[in-house]
Amino acid sequence: MATVAEEWLNICGGCEVAILDLGEKLLDVLPSLEFVHMPVLMDHKYFGQTGEKSELEIPEADVGMISGGIRNEKEKHVAEEMRKKCKTLIALGSCACFGGIPALANMYTLDDIYEKVYRDSKTTESADTPSKDIPPLTDRVYAVDEVVNVDVHIPGCPMNPVIILEALTCLLEGKPFELPERSVCDDCPTKREEKSDVGLKRPLQDAEFTPGEYNTMRCFNEQGILCLGPVTRSGCGKQYNGNGEVVPRCVKGYMPCRGCFGPIREGANPLIDMMTALSSIGLDAKLVEDRRALLNRYIGGQNRLRPLPAKAGR
Amino acid sequence: MSEEFEPKIIAFCCNWCSYAGADLAGVSRLQYPPNIRIIRVMCSGMVHPNLVIEALTKGIDGVIMCGCHPGDCHYIEGNLKAESRAEAIELMLEDFGLEEERFRLEWISASEGPQFAQVMKEMVDTIKELGPSPY
Ligand code: SF4
Ligand code: SF4
Ligand code: SF4
Ligand code: FES
Repeated sequence: MATVAEEWLNICGGCEVAILDLGEKLLDVLPSLEFVHMPVLMDHKYFGQTGEKSELEIPEADVGMISGGIRNEKEKHVAEEMRKKCKTLIALGSCACFGGIPALANMYTLDDIYEKVYRDSKTTESADTPSKDIPPLTDRVYAVDEVVNVDVHIPGCPMNPVIILEALTCLLEGKPFELPERSVCDDCPTKREEKSDVGLKRPLQDAEFTPGEYNTMRCFNEQGILCLGPVTRSGCGKQYNGNGEVVPRCVKGYMPCRGCFGPIREGANPLIDMMTALSSIGLDAKLVEDRRALLNRYIGGQNRLRPLPAKAGR
Repeated sequence: MSEEFEPKIIAFCCNWCSYAGADLAGVSRLQYPPNIRIIRVMCSGMVHPNLVIEALTKGIDGVIMCGCHPGDCHYIEGNLKAESRAEAIELMLEDFGLEEERFRLEWISASEGPQFAQVMKEMVDTIKELGPSPY
């Protein structure tokens, strides 16, 4: 029996839904797991059930799972307490692994964000930045591993439940778990000719395809529709026990990859790699609107997105 | 700050033309500023944009990429690849908030020692005027 603690920090809740999406498989592992703390499912308070304690407390657990990145001091505190109490810590989902969608805010300073939200926006009545009885925001959105050590990363927005199961099974058997360094393209069944002769299309234009026939569909990038497959880690299409044909999740829905599984290996920079890939198949990277945000959509933490430095000497 | 700003500049030079050009500048005793650090590569086509951006965001103030003149590349079209990459690099300078002058692509042949020295001098002057990389 292994004890499990789960926390959600700067999240949308989709990652918790993905855990439940294990469905009947969850029933198979449930007998060997005991959830000791999980705010989304159980009533377990931080300061004792009646608020009698003065220190935030999370019970000890063999496995800790954190979804969501860190946006405020409370979340930072909870992450530190989780690290203290859990033997193995898993970062669950792209928000926890790389900052996720909320980390797009890292393109701006905190002051600029406050100005925009509380004062500049046309549809808002101007007000002071709230500061009473709420935890202060951190200077930017952090991935969990920027604040505490993380043992296992399970990316995805949300993750593929198959991978959660694989990771938990590995941990229960005392084996290490890591996703292979492969790209989404490596798992993609579409037809490739390594060049594009059509030019970049607008993001909402439809791709050409025959429903159900992935093998005859031309690669999105070659059709002129930006696809982040070449710079994104594979795994989203994985099936239980390696059953069935693997098709990346978005490609399965005839949509290009948007990069939710993050960089293929630690230290890679998808923006740079994608710009290079575009130029090598003959697409004009200049036409990619809102390039910086688009190519960092899920991965703005870990300093990939930051306010642009003031140019020197001007 | 009374000390003059001494930029650090990396020059990627292809083995077959530009490095030989640098060599010629050396044996002809042509002077060029010591701010240039030459990295010899087999071909300009093998300089991945990663290296350029990484250099500029980790303490280098300018990068210059040198290859053979179009048509002269030892690997036939490595320098054309370098040229299309250079366009992508220029866009990325924008994405990283870097001035476009911090990166330059030049064709220098083995016999162009004086040109090599001249280009390096120009680059150093431009960067001195620009100031240090904002990173
Ligand atoms: S990774 Fe995606 S699904 Fe999970 S919390 Fe973040 S936004 Fe939601
Ligand atoms: S770029 Fe997209 S569509 Fe093309 S092979 Fe890669 S994942 Fe598939
Ligand atoms: S195809 Fe890309 S964006 Fe879609 S689920 Fe897979 S990794 Fe995420
Ligand atoms: S060998 Fe000089 S550019 Fe290719």
